[in-house]
Amino acid sequence: MNVDVLHTLVSGAIWRAEQLEEHQVGSASLAWGEVSSLEEELATVLSVSLPEGRIARRGAVRAALKARDYARAHSLAERYAADEGAPESLRAAFSSMLEDDARTLADQFHYAAKHHAVQEARELARRLKRGGAFGLAA
Amino acid sequence: METLAFYSYKGGVGRSLFLATAARFLASLGQRMVVLDLDFEAPGQHYKLGAELSADAEGRSRGAVPYLLATAHGAASPPPLIEHMVEVPVPASSGGWLRLMPAGPAPERAYWSALKELHEQIRFDDPSGQGMMPLLDLHARIAEELKPDYLLLDARAGVTDLGGIATTVLADTVVCMSGSDGESVDGMIAVVDAIKATPRLQGQSQIRVVPVLAQAQLGTSDAETERNARLAFLGNTARIGHALLSLPHGDAQQTADRLAKAEWDASELSRLDKAYLRLFQELFPPSSERIQDLLEAGARSRSTAAP
Repeated sequence: MNVDVLHTLVSGAIWRAEQLEEHQVGSASLAWGEVSSLEEELATVLSVSLPEGRIARRGAVRAALKARDYARAHSLAERYAADEGAPESLRAAFSSMLEDDARTLADQFHYAAKHHAVQEARELARRLKRGGAFGLAA
Repeated sequence: METLAFYSYKGGVGRSLFLATAARFLASLGQRMVVLDLDFEAPGQHYKLGAELSADAEGRSRGAVPYLLATAHGAASPPPLIEHMVEVPVPASSGGWLRLMPAGPAPERAYWSALKELHEQIRFDDPSGQGMMPLLDLHARIAEELKPDYLLLDARAGVTDLGGIATTVLADTVVCMSGSDGESVDGMIAVVDAIKATPRLQGQSQIRVVPVLAQAQLGTSDAETERNARLAFLGNTARIGHALLSLPHGDAQQTADRLAKAEWDASELSRLDKAYLRLFQELFPPSSERIQDLLEAGARSRSTAAP
């Protein structure tokens, strides 16, 4: 798919996701997932050395977070940060996005956040996903 | 606040009734108790503790499921905890109190509808933490706002995500109740191993697992099955880290009714009543001395009455 078509699709997908979010439609997170996938496609054809390539990479991670797909956001951020030639500012942007997301979660659940870091809750969830209940499937 | 989770690998061992009896009895000794029913698929603490749960005039219902649904994605102002709890009467002179957060008004349709919605909204294994944080938040909020001495969790029987979280993440002590049949004992030992192997959260002390061999129903096991069960637990005592405790055959409902009363004649305690009291001593050490007094009063009454 050429870059112009992808740009058009990304713009349309962002508009749709924002509309769904504004009207509090439950499928907004699915729409953000679609945005993230399209941005990821753009990132594969645009080098990280180009401003558009960096914008696409940031967009893919940000949209994954808006889709509440933290695992995907984290893995995209790790992959893009390891891109050859990725500037330090891009790595910092990824860290900042992930930290902001953790802070939002901590604000939402402030009783828990006084005792447990969001990272700890995420590790528990990952452990549950890997090993099932009681870790018996690990 | 100390959190005790009550778990059984198989159902029908009297777990929920034992928990409800413990809550009532400890409250009658002056302790501040909260019961949280996490058996979402078959909740029953509102029945065991006699709580009325009909929806209010606005159609809102009380309980953990409606509460978690309201806070699933965070809430700027989460609903007051007390709106989702029920006060269970305890003898006024005790100085203690008992509050129940039921799962919800099961078996009303509204409850199952809320549970379905909750499953659609959050998954406990969501790597973003959006499923785990509401549970950790509820646990922390109960401790901070209600300041109970004990939080008792009814963890669902079997191997479920929520049962796993209640026992391995939220609990300080896990009461593992098992029948004496082979499938219960083998399953329970496997789960106990898994609980002990789970890393603790920052700041949590090592988990305490208390295995209990329970035969709440009459005639469910013969002597040989029971002996085999004891041997199986005995062979694993070092790994479990706690000696096996037992509840004999008996009418658990009668025991629950008797121990819930403000006053009872200690000389009339049944074998099961006494076994419950000894187990409470083990589980709630600060009340152990008072319970011992009650047991000894019973022993004294009996020896005085003997010819």
